[in-house]
Amino acid sequence: MKSLKFRQLVLSNRLSSLGLAIVIISVSLAAAFAISGGRITPYSPYALNLQDSNLPPSFTHFFGTDFQGRDIFSRVIAALPIDLGLPIAIVLLSSVLGIFLGMAAGYVGGVVDEVIMRITDLFLAFPTIIMVLAVAATLGAGLVNAMLAFVFVWWPPYVRLVRGGVLEVVAEEFIAVSKALNSSFSYIMFRGILPNILPSVLVYATLDVGTALLEVSILGFLGIGIPPNTPELGVMVGSISYGLYTYPWQALFPAFITMILVVGFSFLGEGAREASDVKVRPYILFKGRAFRKAPKITKQELAKQ
Amino acid sequence: MRNLFTGNFGIDPLTGQTILSEIRFYLPNTLELVLFSFVIIIIVGVALGYFAGMHFSTLGDSIARVIYLVSWSTPMYLAAIVAILLFATFIPIFPSGGMYSLSISPPQPVTGIFLIDALIALNIPAFVSGLQHLILPALALAFVNFGLISRAVRSSILNVRWSTYVKTARAKGLSESEVRRKHILRNALIDATSLSAVVFGWVLTSTLVVEELFAWPGLGYDAYQAIFSSDYPVLIPIVVIFTLGVIVANFVADVAYSLLDPRIAIGGHLSEVT
Repeated sequence: MKSLKFRQLVLSNRLSSLGLAIVIISVSLAAAFAISGGRITPYSPYALNLQDSNLPPSFTHFFGTDFQGRDIFSRVIAALPIDLGLPIAIVLLSSVLGIFLGMAAGYVGGVVDEVIMRITDLFLAFPTIIMVLAVAATLGAGLVNAMLAFVFVWWPPYVRLVRGGVLEVVAEEFIAVSKALNSSFSYIMFRGILPNILPSVLVYATLDVGTALLEVSILGFLGIGIPPNTPELGVMVGSISYGLYTYPWQALFPAFITMILVVGFSFLGEGAREASDVKVRPYILFKGRAFRKAPKITKQELAKQ
Repeated sequence: MRNLFTGNFGIDPLTGQTILSEIRFYLPNTLELVLFSFVIIIIVGVALGYFAGMHFSTLGDSIARVIYLVSWSTPMYLAAIVAILLFATFIPIFPSGGMYSLSISPPQPVTGIFLIDALIALNIPAFVSGLQHLILPALALAFVNFGLISRAVRSSILNVRWSTYVKTARAKGLSESEVRRKHILRNALIDATSLSAVVFGWVLTSTLVVEELFAWPGLGYDAYQAIFSSDYPVLIPIVVIFTLGVIVANFVADVAYSLLDPRIAIGGHLSEVT
C-alpha cells in the first residue's frame, strides 16, 4: 500500500518519469548486451578495423568510428553494462556497509558510536576522486579493483544518513514498546528500525548512482584503474586527446551518452526525494493547490487591516 | 614524515627540478582558475536557486530545476570539450588553451597569480590576455559545479518562505524587498555556505580534467601528466595539497557558518543569542 503510493508519486512528477524512462531503457539495453553475449551490436566493439579508422558519423556508423576503426555506437552499447554495473555495485556495497555501520553507531551508541563516527569524519574530509585515484593507482588496473577503490571512499555519507535516521526512529514510542515486549535485538533492528530508514537511503542511493557514474567515467578519462581499451565511456573520451579538433565526434558521443545516463538517475532521484519529502508531498499530491494559496500580505493589505 | 611538513618533496625524476619549485609555479595558476570560477559558481548558483525558490511551482521554477540538474549531471570533460568546440573553434571568440598569448611579455611574478601580477605591473595587454584565457575554463568549471548550490538555496528558501519567522518580519512592517533580502535570502545563504566547501572540493578536483583539456599549467595538469607517465613522486605531494585545500575550505566554511548564523557557536553549544 505504502509502496504503491510512493510509486504513484514518482510517476506523477514529469521529471522523475523522464528519469525513470532513461534508466529503464539504458538498463535493459545493458542487460540485453550482457545476456546476448555482445551479439546485439551492429559491429564488434573490440575488433580492430584500421581501414575504417576515424570515419565521421553516417548511416552505417551512427556515431562514427574511432582511431582504431571500431564502431563507436557499438562501443557505447558495450560500455553500458560497465558504466551502469560499476556505479550500481559501488552504491549497493557502500549502502550495505553504511547501513550496518550506521545502525551500529546509532543504536548501540557510546564508544561504538564515537569510534565509527570519528572514522567516518576522517574519510569524509578527503576529496573523493583524489582518494579513489590514490587507491586505484595502488591496487592496479582492473574493473574489480576500481570498484573496490570506490567503495573504500564511498561509504561515509551512508553511515551519517543511516545514523541520523536511526536516532530519529529509536526515539519513537513503538521502539520503546517493542523493547518492553522483550523483542529480540535483531527483531528491533531489522523489523523495527530498518524499514523506517530504508526509503531515505533508497532515495539518496538513486541520486548517488548518477554521481558514482560521473566519477567512474572521470577515472576512466584519466586512465587510472580502468584498463585501457575497455569499452567505458570515460576511457573512450579520454583516448581522444589529440584528435579533438579533427574528430570531435569520437569524444562528443560517449560524453553526451554519459550525461544522459546521469541525467536519468538525477531526475529519478530528485523526483523520488521530493515524493518522500513530507513538506513538498502535499504539493505533488494536489498539483500545487496546497502551496499556491500561501498567504501573501503586502503593505497595502496590512494597512487596510 | 618531517619532509612532508617542511615541504621537502624531493626531486622530480623526469624534469630534474625540485618538486617544491614546480608546485610553486603550478599552485598559483590553479588558485587563480579555481577562485575565479568559484566566484561565478556562488553568484550563478545563488541567483538561480533564489529565482527557483521565489517562483516555486511555476514554469520558471521547472526550467531552473532542469538547468541545475543538467549542470549537476554533466561530466566535466563534456563541458570542457563543448566549450572548446563551441567558443574556440566554431565561434572563435576565446582562445582554446594556455594561460596567455605567446606574443605577450608576462609580468614579473610577485604573487604568482598571473592576473594580479599583471595588475601590479600595470601590464594591461597581459591582463586582458590572461582574462581572455581564463574565462572559458572557468566557465566550464562553473557550469558543472553550480548545481548543488542552486539546489540547496532553492530548498532552504522553500523551507523559510512560509515560516512564521518571515510572517513576523512582514507583520513588523518591513518592506517586501527588505524581507526578501534580510530574512529569506540570508537564511538561504546559511545552508549554501556549508555546502560551498563541498563544492570547492569538487572544483579543485575538477581541475584534473579541465586543466588538461585547456592546457592550463596548474596542479591538475601536472597531476594528469604525472599519472600519464607514472611519475608517483610528483603525484603524492599534489594529492596532499588537494586534500589540504579541501580541509582548509571545510574549516573556512565552518567559521563562516558560525559568523552568519548567530545560533551556532564555534564552541559547539548554543549561544544566548537566538
